[in-house]
Formats: sequence, structure tokens, C-alpha cells
Amino acid sequence: MERARSNGITRRKVVLAPLDPVHDVGLKLIRRKLVERGHQVTLLPPDLSMEEIVARAKAEDPDFIMISRALSYGISELLAKFVDLCDAAGLREKAKLVAGGLSMKPVIAQELGFDAGFGPDTPVEAAVAYVEGQELDRSTGSKRREKPDLTAGFTYRFLDGEIGSLCTTIAQQLIDWANKRTSPGIERARLRVEMESARDSNPELFARLRDEYASLTSGEVKEWYLTGKPVSHTRPITEKEAGYIRSLLKNADELVIPRSQDVLSDRNVFVQYGTGCPVMDAYHSNLSIAWGARGVVHFDPSWGARSEGLLEQAWSHEQDGTVLTLDNLRLIKDGIIPGVLWQVRAHRGLNTPETVVLAHLAGADLTKINIVYGSLGAGSDPERLTVDGVEAMKLAAKYNLPYDVVTNEELCGVPAAKAFAGMLIVATAGVLLGGRPLLQPLFANSPEGMITGYTEHNFIDFNVAKMKVLSSIIDAPIWPGAPVGFLTQTQDRCQSSVMTALHAALALDSGAMAVTIASSDEAYAGGPITAPARVDTLKATVAALRFFGEGGIRPTAEADRIAEELRQGILDVLKQVAARGDFVASLYEGHLGDKEDGAYPGRSGKGTVTLKH
Amino acid sequence: MPVKHRILDGCDVETFILCNDVDEGKTLGLRLMAELGFDDADVVFCEMGGPGVRIRLRGYVYRPSADYRWYGPEVEQHGTST
Repeated sequence: MERARSNGITRRKVVLAPLDPVHDVGLKLIRRKLVERGHQVTLLPPDLSMEEIVARAKAEDPDFIMISRALSYGISELLAKFVDLCDAAGLREKAKLVAGGLSMKPVIAQELGFDAGFGPDTPVEAAVAYVEGQELDRSTGSKRREKPDLTAGFTYRFLDGEIGSLCTTIAQQLIDWANKRTSPGIERARLRVEMESARDSNPELFARLRDEYASLTSGEVKEWYLTGKPVSHTRPITEKEAGYIRSLLKNADELVIPRSQDVLSDRNVFVQYGTGCPVMDAYHSNLSIAWGARGVVHFDPSWGARSEGLLEQAWSHEQDGTVLTLDNLRLIKDGIIPGVLWQVRAHRGLNTPETVVLAHLAGADLTKINIVYGSLGAGSDPERLTVDGVEAMKLAAKYNLPYDVVTNEELCGVPAAKAFAGMLIVATAGVLLGGRPLLQPLFANSPEGMITGYTEHNFIDFNVAKMKVLSSIIDAPIWPGAPVGFLTQTQDRCQSSVMTALHAALALDSGAMAVTIASSDEAYAGGPITAPARVDTLKATVAALRFFGEGGIRPTAEADRIAEELRQGILDVLKQVAARGDFVASLYEGHLGDKEDGAYPGRSGKGTVTLKH
Repeated sequence: MPVKHRILDGCDVETFILCNDVDEGKTLGLRLMAELGFDDADVVFCEMGGPGVRIRLRGYVYRPSADYRWYGPEVEQHGTST
């Protein structure tokens, strides 16, 4: 025994021997690692008899004899005989015997007299750690606590001057227009800030503010504020449940991502949660993080976007989407592993500014805002959402919360060029207001893709064209979503996972800063998403990233042609909107998506915008 | 406590059932889930090919907002270690 010169590790003599005719790949991997770390290693060739292995090992006088066996037939007898031969040769006096390989069960190896047994899922590092007398440091490279800034390094400078000039003109017009107006949503956001400030310190003021808040609510939310009657399909979270969520983090410091998922450690893969139940959400988030997710997205019920006002207290919801309240957000935050990026969406409804306030108060890292999608694809009145959206972007800038600008109106049938024009206008407004928006193109087999034939031959070119055109227009972060692969997944778990993984790999290969993925239940509508379905796509994404590696994904020449068509389409739309001179009018009149496309100006909140005094 | 109650949400059963068509396959699949003791079961995926169906069945043990029984006093709460 001697000290290896370079790293202070005690140098060991190790004999590696395959007990199979040909299978010795695992041993070669172990040899490489051991040699790198300064150990003296002898790898015996395959197809030696056990007597020959023992004789060769005796000549080496090793500290460890490691044998491998891939084939399972007769393994117990073989291993028992090998131990007997080693005993007879006196090798056990010094050497430790280790058995590993595809057919190995550690318990059986030890029962048969080996000092250690390694099963098929054992990393090479575990064998090395054993030789060096160390416990395998499972946390190495796997723990993550630093949150990345997805917008770092981006200048938001327009690279396409013509498009940039139009976007700036339109964005400034819409900001000026919105600055003169207000809405119940803006008033409630202001009240929420004041209420949270007064809640503990000034109960009388809080009660007065709360009454004022309640007067600005509608529907079942109003009824709850006035009578305490729960909103349909909701029930209060119990103390027991709340306590349980908080206890989830007691082992947070021990969180280890399975080594098989390490490839995700420097990728920003997001998953959406929103089971309806904060307890289940915390579990789903944490298991997703454990399998490599870098961020989680709060998914709220659709009715929450159409009601004036947000509830208070913590609620469980029996249907899709987890109720958006400050207490629910704080509860979930308390249960989610620290270090993960957390997005609370504020993009589509009548509570957009207040949602940004709640996101800030609860400690979210990101939010989501898009006036155009919310107006044309999610049922909110364009005038109302423009006023609220500008306020939301001001708040996001004030709170230093980056936000994505989503383009899911493509799912309604709006062509990408129109959706992108809207996204660029809103993102430009966000930048003018001091914010840090991220562009969120849809990676999907959208209706446009099917109708135009963009996706007829593959799902690569159209999506790559989107990345190309956006990155040629502005130096801004791109975060495809949400989630990627819409309308390509089926109810088949394997197909769904593959489609999700390939879209995620394509996004990351194309320069995306982040990507939001679905579960393998994406196309199943019969019930809630389950935990294994979340693991499925995270594992599949790892497999896809591992497969492509630095090799990349190659689009055809069509991608450039589509990108040029998209640019021209964006330019044409922006010219129309600029010529109209009234962004809100353009929303109503269909310049950014019309009825023919499948986009309808929403009606929620219609007639609620007023001029500021 | 039955192991079933340690399942976080749902339990999927995937198999190949010999049958004459998709409808028969689904019926047999749901019968299987009932035999296994899943009261809240559904067919997630079912496709006919050759002699039967490739089928994925799901039994929900706990839907969100249910009265979860992983809370049983004899069960340690499960943290975030993997």
C-alpha cells in the first residue's frame, strides 16, 4: 500500500476479472476510473477458468478482487465455488472479494461470502468509493441550491431594426393608453398590498380595506367574502394538512437527484403543478425536482381567471388547478425544495395585477403575463386585460420578477406570425416599463402547422424556425412551452414521453434558456396527472438529451424558409397594428388573431375599465 | 396499513390482454382492476393489435383533495430523500 502521489488517496492493487466469456465492459469502466485515481489495476481477459483467475490473482497479491457476471444461469454455484477457491488459495487473508454485474443481487453476493456485491444499477463511482474505503458521496454534483437568472446576459436590443421600431411605437402607444385608465383588478391589487401590510399591525384598517376589496369582487368569490360560503368544489385545508406540507422539507438537505438524471442539473426544465390540492402539489413538485426539474409552475383553475377577486386562506380544490390565494402559495412554497425556480402565472384573467402582487409576497421567482393571449384565447376583455396587463408589468418590474410572454393562442388556431407579433409588442412594453420578459413560443403541432403543412414531414422545422426568427429579431431569452409538444402527444405513455422529450431536447438544442414539459398524462383527460407520469417525461427528457448530446438536431432547409415567412408575417401584422394606431382596437378587430383564425375577443370584465380621475 | 395506502395518487397496470376488439379489451381491463381491488379505475390507453390490446389501466387510490391515509400514525412522513 502506498500513497498515490497526485491526490493523497491510498493506492490499492485491484484485480478485475469477468466470469463471462465476453462481458467485461463494466470492468473496463471501473478500471479507467481506478487508474485515473492512481490505483494499480490488472484487468484479466474474459474466458479464463475460475482456477486460472485465482492463480493470476494470487500472483498479483491484490487488495481487492472484483469479478463481474452478466449471465444469470448457475450464478449462485459459480460464486460459491469462486469464494471456496479464493479461500483455499489464501487470498482472503488480504484481499476483499467483490461481485458485480447485470445478474448480481448484492444480498446474495454477501450471503455467498463476498465482502460486497453491486447490482446492475450501481454507478462506477460506487465501486471506486468501495476500493477507497469511502461511502459513495451521492450528493456530488447532484445537489442544487443556486437559482439561475434566466434573463442574465440578455440586452433586449432589437437586432431587426424595422420590427423593433414598429414594436416600440405600438408598445409606447398601448402604455400611454393604459396609463390613463384603471380597473377593479388594479384597485384590488392596490388594496391587497395595503391589506397585507395592515393585516397584523392594524386590524381595523385591514377590516375596512377588506370590505372595500369585497365590494370589487364578483360571483362565488364575492359570496365567500360576504357570507363565508366556500366556492364550489373547494374545502379549507385542514391544520393537519398544512402541518404535513411544512414537514416535507425536514429532509430537504438530503435531497439527491438520481445520478441517472444528472444531465438535467444544468438545464432549466420546468413542470406545471396544479392538482387542486396543495398537499399533492408539494409532493408532485418535490418528486419532479428530485428527478431533475429545475422549476415548477403554479397552475390555477380556469374559473379563477373569470371571477373578479381572489380568495383568502388555504383551499383544496377537487378539480384541475390549485386555487390562487396568498395562503395557498405560501403553504406550497413552504413545502417545495429550496433552490427551485417557482413561477406563479398571472397571464390571462381578471386578477392579473393582484396575482403579481401575490407572487411577490409569496416569494415566487417568475410570473407570466400576456395581454394578447388572455384577450384572444382565454376569455378576458381586451380593453380590460390591456389596462391590467400594463399594471401587472409595472408591478413585475417593481418587484424584479421576470415573466414569460406566452403565445398559447396558437392552440386556438392563430398563426404563429400573429401570435409572435403580439408577444413582441407585449414584451417590448415590458422592457419599456423596466421589466425582464422571456419570449415563450409554442412548440406544438398547432392547427397552423397542420393546415399549412409546416409539420407534415417533421416536427423540427417549424419549431426551429420559431427559434430562428425570434432570436434574429431581439436579444431576449426564449423559453418554449407551455408545455412543449402540444397536440403531438397521445394517451400512450411511451409515445407521449418520447414526444415530450424530443420537443424538450429540440428546444434546448436550439438555444432556449428553459423549457416547460408535460407529463406522460398530457393527452389523458380522464383524471388527475399522477406522480409516475411526471417521472416518465423527466426520465425521457434525460434520455433524449443523453442521446443527442453535443450532436445536435439538424433541421432541413425548410426551417429557414419558414423562418423567413414568419418574419414577413410578423412584419405585416405589426404594420397593420401600427397603422391602426390603437393597440386595443387591433385586438378587437382581429389584427393579432381573428374569428377566422379561431380567436375571439373575450368578454370577462367588459365595460369595467374607467378613466383615471 | 395496506401498501395500497402508501401509493401517492394512482396505480397504473400495463399489460397485453387477449381479446377480439378494443371494447372487449377495455371491459376486461376494467374487470381486472376491479379484481385487483381498485374501485376508482379507468382505461388510460387501449390499442388493438394482432391478438389483443396493449392496455394501460389506472386505479386512483387518492385523487387530489381526498382524505389521504398516508398520514397514518404508524407511517413515518415521507420527506424529500430519494
